[in-house]
Amino acid sequence: MINVTNIGKKVLVAETELTILDALSLNVEAGESLAIVGPSGSGKSTLLGIMAGLDIPTSGTVEIDGLDITAMDEEGRAAVRARHVGFIFQSFHLLPALTALENVALPLELQKGSDAEGTANRYLQRVGLGDRTGHYPRQLSGGEQQRVAVARAFACKPTILFADEPTGNLDSVTGETINDLLFELNREEGTTLVIVTHEHSLASRCSRQLHLKSGLQFTPLEQMSIKC
Amino acid sequence: MLALRILLRNWRGGQLRLVLGALVLAVAVVTSVSLLADRVEKALINESSSFLAADLVIEGNARIAKKLVDRAQAIGLRTASMMTFSSVVYHADAMHLASIKAVESSYPLRGAVRHSGIAFSDDQTAIQTVRSGPPLGEAWADARLLPLLNIALGDFIEFGDIRLKVSRVLIEEPDSGGSFSLIGARILMHVDDVETAGVLLPGSRVKHRLLVAATGDTGSHEVAKYRDWAESNLTIHQKLITPDQAQARIADTIDSGRRFLLLAGSVGVVLAGIALALASHQFALGERLQVGLYKSWGLSGGGIRRLYMAYILAIGLLGSAMGVVVGAVVQELLVWLVRDWMPIDLPQAGLRPWFTGMATGFLCLLGFMLPAIWHLPDLSAMSVLRQDIPVKTMSTALRCVLGVLTSGLLLFWYSRSLIIAIAMIAAFAAIAVAAMGVGLSLLWLGKLMAQYLGSIWRLALANLWRRRLQSLIQVLGFAGAIALLMIMTVIRTSLIDDLQLQFDEDTPNHFVYNVASYELAEVEALIDQRSLETSGWFSMVRARIRQINGEDIDAEQPDSHRSLQRELNLSWSSSVPDNNTITSGDWWRSAAAPNREEPAPLSIEEDLAAELGLEIGDRMMFSVGGLNFEALVANTRSVNWDDMTPNFYFLFPEGVLEDYPRTHMTSIYIPPADKLILNDLLRNYPTLQVIELDKIIERVRTIVAQVTRGLEVMTLLILACGILVMFSAVSLSMSERLQESAILRTIGSSQRLILGVQWIEFTCLGILAGLLAALGAETALLLIQHYLLELPLTGHAWLWLVGPSSGGLLVGLLGVGYSRKTVLLPPLEVLRGL
Repeated sequence: MINVTNIGKKVLVAETELTILDALSLNVEAGESLAIVGPSGSGKSTLLGIMAGLDIPTSGTVEIDGLDITAMDEEGRAAVRARHVGFIFQSFHLLPALTALENVALPLELQKGSDAEGTANRYLQRVGLGDRTGHYPRQLSGGEQQRVAVARAFACKPTILFADEPTGNLDSVTGETINDLLFELNREEGTTLVIVTHEHSLASRCSRQLHLKSGLQFTPLEQMSIKC
Repeated sequence: MLALRILLRNWRGGQLRLVLGALVLAVAVVTSVSLLADRVEKALINESSSFLAADLVIEGNARIAKKLVDRAQAIGLRTASMMTFSSVVYHADAMHLASIKAVESSYPLRGAVRHSGIAFSDDQTAIQTVRSGPPLGEAWADARLLPLLNIALGDFIEFGDIRLKVSRVLIEEPDSGGSFSLIGARILMHVDDVETAGVLLPGSRVKHRLLVAATGDTGSHEVAKYRDWAESNLTIHQKLITPDQAQARIADTIDSGRRFLLLAGSVGVVLAGIALALASHQFALGERLQVGLYKSWGLSGGGIRRLYMAYILAIGLLGSAMGVVVGAVVQELLVWLVRDWMPIDLPQAGLRPWFTGMATGFLCLLGFMLPAIWHLPDLSAMSVLRQDIPVKTMSTALRCVLGVLTSGLLLFWYSRSLIIAIAMIAAFAAIAVAAMGVGLSLLWLGKLMAQYLGSIWRLALANLWRRRLQSLIQVLGFAGAIALLMIMTVIRTSLIDDLQLQFDEDTPNHFVYNVASYELAEVEALIDQRSLETSGWFSMVRARIRQINGEDIDAEQPDSHRSLQRELNLSWSSSVPDNNTITSGDWWRSAAAPNREEPAPLSIEEDLAAELGLEIGDRMMFSVGGLNFEALVANTRSVNWDDMTPNFYFLFPEGVLEDYPRTHMTSIYIPPADKLILNDLLRNYPTLQVIELDKIIERVRTIVAQVTRGLEVMTLLILACGILVMFSAVSLSMSERLQESAILRTIGSSQRLILGVQWIEFTCLGILAGLLAALGAETALLLIQHYLLELPLTGHAWLWLVGPSSGGLLVGLLGVGYSRKTVLLPPLEVLRGL
């Protein structure tokens, strides 16, 4: 599903070149769930962004469903994202002016899907918020907001779902509920799941884990432990 | 459709409200001003048309060719033919050289004729107002004709081969405006009676006029079309007269009022534009998350740009439409406020002001909003994962350039003056630079001083320094608004004073002339008896120009200057008359005794001198009743023709003209209650002439009052724009303020402390803005006084007092009022929302 070959990412910070990722390769099969774990600053989110086509690596290639997205322009990557990719974010990223229903329906509307509201409604029912569809984010608890975000991500029927610290802003009990929901839906929809997380409990539920280590030097591929 | 749906949803978020508010205000200001200006202009044209009795007049010395009449009628215009000439009328043994105006029954095309059944009476019940001329066989005559011919109403007079019944006393016809050329009693008759009477012979001096008017209430496109056509079809003996030429004075007043309104309107738009730019900046910040999400959902940059274009189009349509409606309401309110001063109903506005309003909306969006959100489609898709991704916005310099260009374009569009547009932009720029320099220094000074002050002060002044860029934007916006308000107030006051000065209560409103020397003492006595004041008596001698620099003048030559074709009034004076200024040469010394052998020194009005190509030292020969004398141009004068006192093109020293036959003239203020003195004058001295200007002056005075009122309401609208700039600027720092306040409250600070800090912050900003505004306004006013009004430089001390105090109070109140939600929202909600 996703082939990452020998990618590197360097950025300029205050005129100094920093290497965030270096010669990293991995494959994620369709239907698989992968956890990317590691301490802060180890490049987890950068890797997630590159795998999802939000960003491009300085070197190396990324293929999604056989398509080399690193060779594409931004328009091409946008098309791939539209077809394959869904996201869940640590800080939920719900639009404050929109109700739960509108938040879930918006990406469907942008993709000109038919019956955006009906689909949104169905997914909100599925995440247990069928009676809160008209509520605004500020009227929902953190857990409820993340459930809306989960509904929004799955409503677009992505083949790959990227989650960036999905429970990072939640207490452990609420976080666990969200995790349950995430894996249930993942099973039901047959989605490939890539999760960036600090939490071992979440990482351990994935079929594979990728540990990124950071230190004075960024970890090269051969030193990386890949645990399946 | 999707863009509209997103727009409506975003409305709830509040980000759009300031954007839309600024846009609505910009459009409303422009629409109300344009609507008002358009209606006043139309009213002016109507009014002036009635002074002309038509929308357009073709005048010539020969009968107007039929093709000119046919053409007008073919394109749906109404026409009326008219002839004016002097002719003798008789009754029994009495005769009088009357001023005949012969008209078709369709006359007047604009305005109305007033006639009465009783002579020398102001009995309103006897007066009729009609929109037609006299029928065949009848004459409507000046009241003074009756004693001159010793007749009563209903009697017949002889006119050439026919007899006409004097059926009514002619009180006023629309185009009776003050003309010196016809001095007999006026008689209005049907044009066909002139043919039958056979009074006109080849060579008779007759002025022919063709009156043309549109069928509707206002001058229309067809009139303009006809004018263009006629211009190329006139003979050299014919000329076109348009309403604005007919009533230049009212046109001038309205024009300066209208220009000022438009200028004030454009200042309002520029302020609203600044508010729009600030609000859009804030809006763009809020849109970042949304754009990041769009990108993560696979919307391409192009797709996002199209979405925002549709979005802007929707905002433009919605905001402009709302602005146009608000503008129309405000404008109706303006008209309602001044309804008591309206002498006439304002006609409905045309389409142009509505278009102007809508176009302003879109231009503002292009110039002020689009640059602020231009970068959104290019945002990195990664921004949705990481907040620290740098955002490449359009450079501030480029945005400023676009904003300045848009402002300049708007200013130029409304004021129709490049100089005004450049001056206003320069004033803005000066305030901006001063705000940067002075503002930063003062803020820095404040921060230094803060350590000697209490904790509230320390916090407040530190905040101002930390947020210095936002503080400066706020200071700039508000200083600009206050400065413009001050400049407008001062200019408005001087404009109104200037206008009203010309029309003091006791400004002369009648000219009395053609008073014979032997009548003068009696006429003076009669006027004294009524305790009326004249502007002094002036003698005049009628003369023709015979030669210029030894060359004979051929008066019959058709293209010669009009002053060479007719008799002119010469007068004399020992000193330069009031309101006259010598522009070249020297005035004569009063003691100089005239020497009959040498040419007399002559003072000539500068414009006429230029038209005749006369320079100092040129020789002229004048002829008075066949007697010639020579003159030498000694100086040229500029003359203020508007001061309602007798003014002359040609002035001589005393002792040159006294021996020639002369008449006397003066101007005089006659209050309405004393108006009947005219009857006594005209009855006792039938050759005496009166020009009544009281109605015109009254009308001008009314218009001045209306314009004044309009300016006052405009000032309020500008204030609203200034307040909007303030709101936009404060909202830039709102989320930061909310966060600070929440943290302060969480660690136990009282509401009093937080509000105290805000009071000090905003009041200091206001005082600073007021000081800068006073500086800017004073500079601009001194420049305006020096270069435009050519007045001595005087400071405006009150600016320095009113500026900082009103600025502090206003900005303090508004700022704290607007940001009070920082202490009203529960801190937890604020912190969670961040």
